[in-house]
Amino acid sequence: MSFKVAVIGDVDTATGFALAGASYVHVHIKKEETFAKLGELLAREDFGLVLITHRIAEELGAEFGWMLRTKKLLPVVLRIPDKTGYMPKVDELYELIKRTVGAKIVVRAEDG
Amino acid sequence: MASLAAALAVVTPTRMELLKLKQRVNLAQRGHDLLREKMDALIIEFFEILRRIGAARAGALKQLSLAYRALSTCSAIMGTIETLQASKEARRELEVEISTRHVMGIVVPTLEVEKVERSALDRGYSLHTTSSVLDEASREFEKALGLLIKLAELEESGRAIAKELERTKRRVNALEYILIPRLRAALKFISMRLDEMERENFTRLKRIKAMLEAET
Repeated sequence: MSFKVAVIGDVDTATGFALAGASYVHVHIKKEETFAKLGELLAREDFGLVLITHRIAEELGAEFGWMLRTKKLLPVVLRIPDKTGYMPKVDELYELIKRTVGAKIVVRAEDG
Repeated sequence: MASLAAALAVVTPTRMELLKLKQRVNLAQRGHDLLREKMDALIIEFFEILRRIGAARAGALKQLSLAYRALSTCSAIMGTIETLQASKEARRELEVEISTRHVMGIVVPTLEVEKVERSALDRGYSLHTTSSVLDEASREFEKALGLLIKLAELEESGRAIAKELERTKRRVNALEYILIPRLRAALKFISMRLDEMERENFTRLKRIKAMLEAET
């Protein structure tokens, strides 16, 4: 099955991914609007991947996390850094490891 | 301990019950061992995925920052409004092939994309009103998107495995620390009780024998 790609981000992120061919881009301005849009995207059947910038994900807060936990298998939601290269200090994936394995594990990226 | 007492209150100290309990302990133990093995296998799988996520993430982020840089160059040379306009004109019909795969009973999605990188003609914006830096920016973003799609697959698998791991761990712990000790306690209670009954019987017989002997 083929699915479309959606992006939620600031103007530049949206522009860039629109150029790359993402079917739907949402420029984040107001929290409520983004929430509504995100809910709609998660409920729709034809979107398979939603990219959202870390900054917006953080702004949406705990409710966003709740949305992620209750969503179906698709669409897959991936958080990406925005143009400032912003990465949050608390990486949710490493939080997950800490919770499941019970210890902090640092995985080095293997280069070459 | 209150729960232990409650568990003991419902068992009747009979041989039948003892046999049944023994079977249940065996079953619980076997289930526990199996789950433990599953957990170990999941952990191995999880770390493999994590290692791949680490590498994929580094690559994707690097490409993404390159893309953002190309886009700002483009906005600077071509103008912000023109860039925005071009992005609206661009053909936006990227399709991602998504199927599901089973890793040890866990459903994980696989994302595949046929061709992210397009030629300038396929992109759909007008070529004579735009500059070549726009092509550059688009190409970088397409590359980044391709890498991000791969990363999304890995992260989603990682998340699914972590979830399963957590669930398995909880079950292993429930068996190990609650069910099995409780069953063992009940088992011990019954065997003690049966022994006690046997001793009672023994003294009773002795006493009866003594009484019979006294009569004759």
